[in-house]
Amino acid sequence: MGRSTNHKRSNVTAQVSATHEEYVLTSTRILARRRLIVSGSAPHVSAPTRRRRRTRGFVQVAGSAAARRLRLTGFGHAYLGLGAVVIIGLFYLALAAQITQSSYQIAQLQDQQSQLIAVQDQLRYQEVTAHAPAQVQHQAAQSGLQRVAPATYVPGQPLAIDLGAPVGASAGDTTPLWMKAVAAVVNTLGGTRDVMAATTK
Amino acid sequence: MLVVALVLAGSIWVRLAYWQVIEHSQLAGQAQAQYREVVQLPATRGVILDRNLTQLVVNTTVYSAFVSPDQITAAQRDQVAGGLASVLGVDKGSVMTTLASGAKFAYIARRFSQDKADKLRALQLPGVGLEDDTQRAYLPGAGPGTTLAANLLGFVNYNGDGQYGLEAQYQNVLAGTPGYISSYRDLANREIVLGSHSQQDPVNGSDLVLSLDANIQYAAEQALADGVKKDKAESGSVLIMDPSTGGIVAWADYPSYNANDFNQTDPSLFLDNVASSVYEPGSVMKVVTLAGAINSGAITPNTVINDPGYLSVGGYRIYDWDRRNHGNINYTYVLEHSLNVGAMKAMQAEGHAAFYSYLQGFGLTKPSGIDVAAEDAVAPPPASQMADSQYATSSFGQGIDVNMVQMLAAVNVIANGGKYAPPHVVERVGTQINPLLLQPQRQVISAAAASQMTAMMEAVVQHGSGFTSIVKGFALDQTAKTGTSQIPVNGQYTQDVWASFVGFLPAQHPRFTMLVVIRKPHAAGSDRDWTLNDGYITAGPIWQKIAQAMVVDWRITPDPS
Repeated sequence: MGRSTNHKRSNVTAQVSATHEEYVLTSTRILARRRLIVSGSAPHVSAPTRRRRRTRGFVQVAGSAAARRLRLTGFGHAYLGLGAVVIIGLFYLALAAQITQSSYQIAQLQDQQSQLIAVQDQLRYQEVTAHAPAQVQHQAAQSGLQRVAPATYVPGQPLAIDLGAPVGASAGDTTPLWMKAVAAVVNTLGGTRDVMAATTK
Repeated sequence: MLVVALVLAGSIWVRLAYWQVIEHSQLAGQAQAQYREVVQLPATRGVILDRNLTQLVVNTTVYSAFVSPDQITAAQRDQVAGGLASVLGVDKGSVMTTLASGAKFAYIARRFSQDKADKLRALQLPGVGLEDDTQRAYLPGAGPGTTLAANLLGFVNYNGDGQYGLEAQYQNVLAGTPGYISSYRDLANREIVLGSHSQQDPVNGSDLVLSLDANIQYAAEQALADGVKKDKAESGSVLIMDPSTGGIVAWADYPSYNANDFNQTDPSLFLDNVASSVYEPGSVMKVVTLAGAINSGAITPNTVINDPGYLSVGGYRIYDWDRRNHGNINYTYVLEHSLNVGAMKAMQAEGHAAFYSYLQGFGLTKPSGIDVAAEDAVAPPPASQMADSQYATSSFGQGIDVNMVQMLAAVNVIANGGKYAPPHVVERVGTQINPLLLQPQRQVISAAAASQMTAMMEAVVQHGSGFTSIVKGFALDQTAKTGTSQIPVNGQYTQDVWASFVGFLPAQHPRFTMLVVIRKPHAAGSDRDWTLNDGYITAGPIWQKIAQAMVVDWRITPDPS
């Protein structure tokens, strides 16, 4: 019983070491750290530097698993590789065709855009010309309008305010004191900030 | 046998090394040229706007039609030629000849409008293509077959290079920087999108905002054209300035041209007479002479002198225009009646050195530096090399050459409280304000001297030769000075004159300063009395007409008196 259990465990370990090496190593490191913590050793002691191993990618892992299951021979590997290349090639061609098609559409749209810009330029010129002084005068003349020069001007009156005088202090606040007090209380209670700012010196 | 094989193989290797190593770069370049193409992405040229942001020039798209005769079969030729002739108005016979040539490419018509291009597209003619291009379109001017401010703006040629005026002066700013796309192309010149691709976006040109006012420009062109025709003059120019900034409000020349049709225009019309030609300013110069003398304390407006009608200087007897004995007169009277003797005596009172330094201060000894292409200026000789007689004649504007920009900027010193406002046309480039506007202005004469000179120039309108320029309501609130100078030919003065008129309005708070120059007027009756060509008769009424339009357009009112 005990032997079979050991045997099973060693098989599992072998498989894991072949496929999930990193998992095992990580688990080992965690266990080692736990042991260190339990035994009261200094937790900051770092493990000795290990050499990083290349992680196997999904394709390699899946490929090797499929190969094991399908029991492929050397030719089988070659056919499989060729098939993959053909599929990738077809995918590339489809993508290239799509991109080329899109590029032609872009070129057509650029053509349309340049034509629309030309139309816009033409409209802008018509608009600007319509407001040009020559056009305005021409249309005014056609409508029978003419510029009238003022014959006289209203004589200027002397100003009551001396604009040249230096600016003095502003007039004092004539609000009655009781009104200020009421306002202060109301504003404090109501929390009207701008009114408070206006009433606070 | 082995040796022969080795020799043959060696010769092949040597040849291969020659093509692949020594000739590598050249062959690679040739290959690149076949499949890689660099397409330029043109930058949009900046537009030009007036002070009210009225667009003075618009970028429009024009089209050129081309054919590929080698792609058109004999049976299709008649249809293609007929279509092209009907839409573009070209001769069908010549198109047939082009199509029969079998060439790969030939233009049929260049730079036509959008509507023709649309009609041609609709016909779907085989072997016919359209090429688009940008063209500047300018606003119509006052005269038939002219565009607005043509001599100021210049034009852009078919290569996209600005010619004359602002288009030339600001070529780099307006044109921007073109970009490019470098990519692989197939035989039909379509881009191969999966090939390598590099792109640099173009940087569009900046817009220019001018101090010009399109409405005033139009009014100036109209009044100038009418005046030049009426006086049977050779040509005329008007320049209007904002007194406080030196910004040009209007810049008109007559005759002018159509910048939209520059390739059909006599090139002599491209030259602008405002900045690119010099003239003798005549009595307008007395403003500068008397202002300098007042500022230096040599005279006052009320200083009395004796004017017998002539003055002998440096061995020459120089007369007043009327050759009359005026007796004892003051300097206000001198300016009112434009007396040469008074100007010479003022110059003598301040001295040659001071007079010359005021010429420098008023900006008459060097180009104005205005931001328009091809300014011409003739500097007077150094002070030490000027003869007494030249100082004398310079004091009343003969024997000294200036351009209109220099002269107007000098008179504008009076309007601007004694400060020299650097003349300029462009106020903003893109969002950048012209640095000239941010610099402090040079004080040439005191504000008090400028004020005294203003009063004297007001007197010219009220009591002197400036009466022809009176704008309704401004009789007591405008200034003027007339000028008439004979044109020298081969060192001898002729009866032909430059007639000019300068002034600003309102006198105390000027909104504009304007100079009108008429070249070789032949007013009615001037064959008997050449003084009928004087500035107050020929240029004055033009000044008045433009000022009247400005008063209405800018809503200027006289100062309360």
